[in-house]
Amino acid sequence: MIVRCRLRLLIGLCCLVPTLSGCSDRFLAGPMQYVENDALTKEVKGKNSLAGKPRLQDKVRNALAKLYGEKPDRMIVSEGMGVLLTGGGARLASYQKVGESKLRNLGPDRKPIAGGYGLYRRNCLHCHGVSGAGDGPTAAYLYPIPRDYRKGLFKFTSTPFGARPHRDDLKRTITNGLHGTSMPAFEALMSSDEIEQVIDYVIFLSVRGETELELIELGALSDETDMSALSMDDARQAAESVFNKWKTAQTAIINPPVPAPPSTPKSIHHGRDLFLGRTKEKLDCVGCHGALAQGDGPTFVSQDVFNKVVFGGNPSEKEERLKQFDEKTREVWTQKLDDWGNPVRPANLNRGVYKGGRRPIDLYWRISKGINGANMPPGPNDAAVIWDVVNFVLALPYQPELLTNAPAPPAAQAPAVANR
Amino acid sequence: MRYWSVLFALAAIFSVGAFLYAPFSPDWWLPNPASDYRHVVSTFGREIDSLYLIILIITGVVFIGTQVVLVWESFRFADQKDEAGKPVRPAQYFHGSQRLEVIWTIIPAAILVFIALYQMGTWASIKFRSSAPKVPPLAEITGRQFQWVMRYPGPDGKLNTQDDLFTVNDLHFVKNRTALIYLKSSDVIHSFFLPQMRIKQDAVPGLTIPVWFDADTAGKYDLACAELCGWGHYKMRANVTVHETDEEFRKWLNEKLAEQNQSQLTMATVSQER
Repeated sequence: MIVRCRLRLLIGLCCLVPTLSGCSDRFLAGPMQYVENDALTKEVKGKNSLAGKPRLQDKVRNALAKLYGEKPDRMIVSEGMGVLLTGGGARLASYQKVGESKLRNLGPDRKPIAGGYGLYRRNCLHCHGVSGAGDGPTAAYLYPIPRDYRKGLFKFTSTPFGARPHRDDLKRTITNGLHGTSMPAFEALMSSDEIEQVIDYVIFLSVRGETELELIELGALSDETDMSALSMDDARQAAESVFNKWKTAQTAIINPPVPAPPSTPKSIHHGRDLFLGRTKEKLDCVGCHGALAQGDGPTFVSQDVFNKVVFGGNPSEKEERLKQFDEKTREVWTQKLDDWGNPVRPANLNRGVYKGGRRPIDLYWRISKGINGANMPPGPNDAAVIWDVVNFVLALPYQPELLTNAPAPPAAQAPAVANR
Repeated sequence: MRYWSVLFALAAIFSVGAFLYAPFSPDWWLPNPASDYRHVVSTFGREIDSLYLIILIITGVVFIGTQVVLVWESFRFADQKDEAGKPVRPAQYFHGSQRLEVIWTIIPAAILVFIALYQMGTWASIKFRSSAPKVPPLAEITGRQFQWVMRYPGPDGKLNTQDDLFTVNDLHFVKNRTALIYLKSSDVIHSFFLPQMRIKQDAVPGLTIPVWFDADTAGKYDLACAELCGWGHYKMRANVTVHETDEEFRKWLNEKLAEQNQSQLTMATVSQER
């Protein structure tokens, strides 16, 4: 009897509960909170952290809340940051504080606008996360994983190596997407005005994240008991220095001194020799990209190992999977992580897929100034040399015989592969 | 009891009303250009719409007929009681009527066979590879999570050469010219959907599928993915532009090619910098 009653109750509940609770997603729309940088509260391997310094941690939190607002929907735009954003930050959101006091409601016709904040929430947040840390709910399913803006580093830029990106760089990435990654093209999904608003918010998040990092670095050097450590003035200075990095980058765009020469066999063959490191410039492209430019150079772990570790199961158990390999492999692995601590692969140049764009100028930037945060270093200074490599890279997918039938090197070289 | 029939009648009237109203509302009617929402832009669109309307009329007539009978019967024969409160006529059970069953099997079967035969020509002209137009391909379109990568032949007119033009989510062709594309997928199954041209074709990994369509009105249209392909499925939208003339299309192509071959920033861009 009891069993029957329970069964009935169970069936009843199964019908009742979903009916009464409905399909609401209200539980998802709780108050939005910035996610703190791990280094604020936890020990992070190879990085400074504020673990065990609760007073300094609170100072960082307070400083961030004063400078950028306590929550994503309570935004504060510092005056110093205004010049980086369209309309001094007016397009970030409808309601925000400028400086420290004023509250303003902006938008055409005094109507509330979604602003960069609203558009970001709708289109970007699910991968890039609330604080731009690349930790949104869909991020775990992606490779390469979404960009963490908080370092201020972006890969595909037109500014010098290590510099902050130009607005146009971010615009290109959002408009065209990054081919070969999960970053979609937003040209058909947002108007160019909306894309500008999103760029504003990305810059806002990046500046905020970098200030947080700077403060952690600063705090790591200070003593927990020092009452004057990490004062609000220090925080303002740190923020100011972050703004300045972005401001300098806006005028530091690199323009090739000469246009690309026509893609003649001579130029392509010279590019091939440069790629293979057979010229006086001694470029070491092969070390990473491999002798056939398949992205399998000897300075990286083999594709096989990479696949086993990265794609071999639960993404959070990469470290365990790495342990099955010998010490040498593990060391190479650690050396070749990118600046965000994630595994990267050199590009396979035979596929004709160029993440940062396929225009000659894009490839010029990649080769001449390297790729921020990845293991691609800045290349030679001579524009003519770079253009030959660009011509070679663009021709390779259509002429694989350039490398498969490459003439033997002039002198016998010690095979780098044997050291693997 | 008999007033239940009113409820059934209302439901039927509402459904029929919705279908009668639809042709007078651009939002309710089939996807067509905003300028003239009853004008179907593509050849196949007109054929498919006529098939659609035929089916709609057949099912509409059957629907109205069955609803009238249903409502009338439940109104007419409910609540019939004599002075004593007993039903006038008790319910009778019979084992079935062969004649009725044969009728209601043959009529729908005949309708289905008619539709199946009647649509064959349209299906063949849209889907059979043998009816693919003998024109040079407009582009090769590859679905990938989550965008449409389009590759147009460059100045040499051949696909898969170094001068090809690459665009993302941007389809262009000329009005009154049958556009032939090769559809591919680089990861999962996507579906190439041009609502205004009534074209829908799955993109299947490993297959190269020719798809052809046209439009008789220049303008902007939509391209979407119609197969749930992953978390970013809804982001796979693209712009479709139908050009008025060949020259206009060529001009667009050349502009895009110049952009793709850009090797220096223009003076305008450099001086714009702060």
